[in-house]
Parts: sequence; structure tokens; C-alpha cells
Amino acid sequence: MRIVDLLKEDCIELGIRLGSKSEAIDKLVELHDKAGNLLDAKVYKEGILAREEGGSTAIGEGIAIPHAKSEAVKVPALAAVTVPSGVDYGAMDGKPSDLIFMIAAPNDGDVHLEVLARLMQMLMDSDFKSKLLNSKSKKEFLKAIDDFEREKFPEEASNPNKENEGYKILAVTACPTGIAHTYMAAEALEKAGREMGIPLKAETNGSGGAKNVLSAKEIEDCHGIIVAADKNVDMARFDGKPVLITKVADGIHKPKELIERIEQGQIPVYHHKGGASPSANEGGEGVGRKIYKHLMNGVSHMLPFVVGGGIFIAIAFLIDTLAGHGSSGSADFGTITPAAAWFKTVGGLAFNLMVPILSGFIAMSIADRPGLLVGLLGGFMATNGATFSDIAGVSTTPSGFLGGLLAGFAGGYFMYGIERLCDKLPHSLEGIKPVLIYPLLGLGGIAVIMCAVNPIMGWINSGMNNTLETMSKNEALIVPLCALLAGMMAIDMGGPFNKAAYVFATGMLASQTNAAYTIMAAVMIGGMVPPIAIALSTTFFKKRWSEEERKNGPVNYIMGLSFITEGAIPYAAGHPLQVIPSCVVGSATAGALSALFGCKLMAPHGGVFVFATMAGTWYFYILALVSGAVLSMLILALLKRKVK
Amino acid sequence: MVSQTFTITNSQGFHMRPAGAFTTAMGKYQSSVSVIKDGNKIDGKSIMNLIAACIKCGTEITVEIDGPDEEAAMKEAAEMIENGFGE
Repeated sequence: MRIVDLLKEDCIELGIRLGSKSEAIDKLVELHDKAGNLLDAKVYKEGILAREEGGSTAIGEGIAIPHAKSEAVKVPALAAVTVPSGVDYGAMDGKPSDLIFMIAAPNDGDVHLEVLARLMQMLMDSDFKSKLLNSKSKKEFLKAIDDFEREKFPEEASNPNKENEGYKILAVTACPTGIAHTYMAAEALEKAGREMGIPLKAETNGSGGAKNVLSAKEIEDCHGIIVAADKNVDMARFDGKPVLITKVADGIHKPKELIERIEQGQIPVYHHKGGASPSANEGGEGVGRKIYKHLMNGVSHMLPFVVGGGIFIAIAFLIDTLAGHGSSGSADFGTITPAAAWFKTVGGLAFNLMVPILSGFIAMSIADRPGLLVGLLGGFMATNGATFSDIAGVSTTPSGFLGGLLAGFAGGYFMYGIERLCDKLPHSLEGIKPVLIYPLLGLGGIAVIMCAVNPIMGWINSGMNNTLETMSKNEALIVPLCALLAGMMAIDMGGPFNKAAYVFATGMLASQTNAAYTIMAAVMIGGMVPPIAIALSTTFFKKRWSEEERKNGPVNYIMGLSFITEGAIPYAAGHPLQVIPSCVVGSATAGALSALFGCKLMAPHGGVFVFATMAGTWYFYILALVSGAVLSMLILALLKRKVK
Repeated sequence: MVSQTFTITNSQGFHMRPAGAFTTAMGKYQSSVSVIKDGNKIDGKSIMNLIAACIKCGTEITVEIDGPDEEAAMKEAAEMIENGFGE
């Protein structure tokens, strides 16, 4: 029975003035009653008074320990007050009492004698007693008791059996992937807690959602919280508690050190700023790491949309192929049979949400909940290409995932800025920030940003178109033109470059010339290389990818073969500087080879499913595709460092 | 020096009231009073030490008294303990 387990913070009052013994009793009974330790405060108080009649419980040296065993006690507990000026408690030595503990003990058991004995053993140490009297906060008071108890009764500190009263330390673990490290850190922390005799509960924010979730009561009762996370976790609930923010790796490798730091009480109390991401407050985290964290938050949320949508579109192509439309060369391929149309439309819906989800969760990672609105809207506007003059984006160029990245970061930091500015507003406006100020300014701000950015994409697009037109008029330039177009397909995978190349090729198809078919073949191969290169890389260069990226790799074979370039977007978004250049080089090479081999394609999309339209040139086409993809994979292996 | 062994019989053991009564009673004597429990020697005139020793019902203790009035002191101590401190 440890004192710290019986004495709760709300049962302590320090530095109070008490005029008399009866006032002191009233005060302490009230503390017990308020904390819910008593069934009947009146009956308990009668017990205390009866005890005092049999002789004062002021045992001298300024200490009084009123106590009662009573059926009116719900849970065994202690209350404590310090009275610097002292109160006349009728002590045997005649001195005033300045430190009063009141014991509430249930009728059964030896709690009362054990607690009394232990308190006495501890209070006999005058250093300890003066530490209690000089405590400036309840925390300090409790810590003094806890420290001394540990020192005096070390055997108990390592015996957790009696400590079912609640968790002293809580932890949250999370890593971007949410498969391995999250759980390793949780396990290491819990194990260290057991070894140190400090009950610890760890919540895991893994890929399957949060498990072993911390309750509000546990958070309220704990000494402190360890957040060992490489991605953002819900921090608002920890407001007002000491929170130690660190890397997930520290949770795995230094669990004891983290627990000690909390127990030593050196951790500052965390104050949630309605929106600041916790990492933003931590000095130790580099800018690059922060950006990476935001980026990966977006990418990992986007992945399911890409995978689900991509497979549905591939199924649509498969259905139309099985229905015998594979060699039709129709622009409607993939939507010819009603079943295929259904799959392709559903897949398309998922793809439409892809970029908004990416930017939405990037912004949310930066600016917390208010960021979601700006990110989603910004991403949506990047997808539909809204401008000031054409807000519905009817005849504009979408800025694709690169625009989405911009929307996520620009929108997120914009919102973050608004939140910081709003910190200066009077407190009375607190309530209307999330329901009025943030949505209004956020929506307006991101709309202006995106409408300003999107036209630039339009200019790039029309500039491209003009260049391509000119080049296509010169037959000698067919190979460089094909290389250029194929490379453009890989630059932004759905943005202005990609669109310019694709629209140009499909526009040429109408002329039904050999040049047009050659160009179409090069454009499609340019869009097939990136996903296949990614898939190959996750197969042959496993160490360069995180576990989540590896697991999603094989789907890219299907997407690549189906000419669904979007499969590579999560990888390009996560590591743009490595993935995009290598894909562009591989795609351009494949496009050039395709043109050199004389491959011709009459269908605007469909990947392997429309090889039947290639009039017997498809084996060269596959050779070109494999060459390009392998080249991309090798360059990527050179550019991208191993994941630790 | 006189010494005598007792078994505590009152149900709540040497809690504060008995400890208070015992130390007050022993304080009247010049002799030194010790209570021995499990080999530990406790000052029998200090209420804090006595309470801290956590002497429960059924515990065997030895009282050692040494001084000019040791006999009288032991007589009173024995009475108190054997009567269960009036409880």
C-alpha cells in the first residue's frame, strides 16, 4: 500500500490558513468528500471526531494524523494539508501542527495501521518532512513522497502487483508506415515500464487505426505522456499534461531513459495550440524531416485510392478485351461494355479523389484539423484546373499532383499562419475560430492561391502544344519528338506536361497517319514505364523503400501494364527528386525506342489490353517498355538512398 | 535491566491511540524503555517510532526497561499490553 497510490492531487492543499482544529477537520473531510473517497461525509466526520475525543492525533513535531476506520469510507485514501502558520491541534508536545494527513480507512483490513506506520516511518525523516512543508506545488509534494517511498521501500518499486490503480505513464507510438516500428516501440516501452515497476500503457497508431486507445481518465491520472512518433498523432487530448515528444526509434531503443525523464518531472507541460502540429513546437526536429512527415501523411492516405481505382480501371480494360474489343482501337475502350464502363467509372471516381486526399492530408499534417479544408479544396482545384476567369475549370488545364503538392503545402502553411495570427485574438473569440474564421479565411485563401497557380499550368500547356505542333510537321524529328512526349508523360503523371503530351497524341490519332500511330505508341509507353519501374524497384531494390511502399509495389505491375500512370504518383509525391527524373529518362528512352522500332498504336489507352491493335509490332513494343523500365529502375537505385 | 515478552492482543495493534498512551505512560519513568520487534529495537518513549514499527495484532514483542525505576515501569507496561490498551 503505497502512499502515492492513496494520496491524489485533488486531496492536497498547500499553504493554507486554519483557525482551529475543527476548521482543519472540516477542511480535510471536505477534501476527501470532494475526491469521492467517502460514501457519507457526515458519518465519516463523526468517526474522526470520536477518535479525537479519545486523545488528539497530533503526535508532535508539528504532525497530526487524524484518522477513522468507518463504513462511510468508499476507498482507502489520504488527504493532506500544510499549514505554514500552524494550527493548535492539541498536540502532546503542545506545539502547533503544520502538516496534517487525514486517513480514510474502510472498516475491514489493516490499511489503517499500515498506512499510519508507513507515514510515520517516512515523517520521522526530518529532511523529508521539511521537503513536504516547502513544496510549492502539489506535484512537488507528491514527487517528494514518491521519491522517498521508492528510496525507502525499493522492493515495492519493482513489484507491480499492487499497482493496478492506474497507469503512471502513458505512451503513444506511431510511424509513417504503421506496421512494425509502431508496435516495437509500444512493446519496448511497456516492457521497460514493467521492469521499472511503473505501470505504462502504450497506444499504437498503426496502419489499422489506433489500438489500446488511452482514455480521458487515464490521461488525467497519469504523470506524463511519451509520444514516440514519426507522424502526427492526436495531441489536443494531452493539453495540460507533461508530454515528451520524441522519435519512434527512441521508443524502441531508449524506453527506460524516456520513462525516467517523465518520472523525474523535467518534462514541460504541453499546451495544445488549436492547430499547431506537435512537431512544429519541437526544436529538435529538422525542417526536412518535418516536410517529409507532412508529405508522407498525404501519400499514405492517398495510396488506397490509387490502388483501388487503378485495379478497377484495369478490370474495365480486361472486361472489354474479353468482350472482343481489344483490337477495335476505339477511343471508348474500357467503357464499351456496360460492365467495363461501371468499373472504369468507379475507378475514375477514386482517381478524382486522389490528389485532393494527398493535399488534404499534407495540409492537415501541417495545420491540424483546420488544414483539411484548405488542402482538400486546393487539391480539388488542382485537379479541375480552376482559374479566376474559369472557376469551374471547363476549358483549363489541371495542375495535377504537382499542383496538389503545392496546394497541400501552401494551403497547410497558409492555414498555420492564420492559426498563429488568431492566437492574438481575444479569448472570447476562441469559439468562432474553428466554425467561422478558419473555414472562411482558409477557403478564400486557397481559392485565390490555386486560381493564381492554375493559369500558369495553362500557359505551360499551350506553349508545349505549339512546340509539339511545330516538331510534328518535320518528319525527321519523329524519334526526338516521341522521346520528348514519352518523357513528358512521366514528369507530372496527370499534370500539364502529361496532359499536353496525351492530348496532343490523341488529337493526332484523328489524322489516321503512320506518324500519328507512332506518336500514340510512344505516349502510351511513356505512361507505362513509371509504374513498372517502381514495381521493379520495389521488387529488386527492396531496401530503398519503406515497408508500406514495398507492399504496394506489385500493384504497379498491373497499373503499368494497363497504362495507369497514376500508380507511380504516391512514390513520385513521396520522393519527387529521385522518382521523377529516373522515370522521365526511362520513359523518354522507351518512347524513342518504340519510335525507332516502328511501333504503331491505334488505341488511345488500354495498355497490354490494346496490343492487338499494334499490327504485329507489339513484341518490339514490349522490348522498348522493358528497356525503359529497367533503365528507370537502375537510375532510381542510384539516386535513392537506402531506407534505414 | 528487566525484559518481558508479550503478544499483542488488541485487534488493531499498536496504532496511534495505544502508542500514544504507552509512550505517555513510559515518559513518566526515568528508565529507558525499548520495544523489540523482529530483532529491531524501538524507542518505547517515542510515539512516532512505535507507530512506524507497524506492530499488528498477534505480533510478539519484547519490552526492555533499564534504569532506577525499571520494575514499576515494567509493571505498568505489562498491564497496558495485556489489557489490550483497554480496547
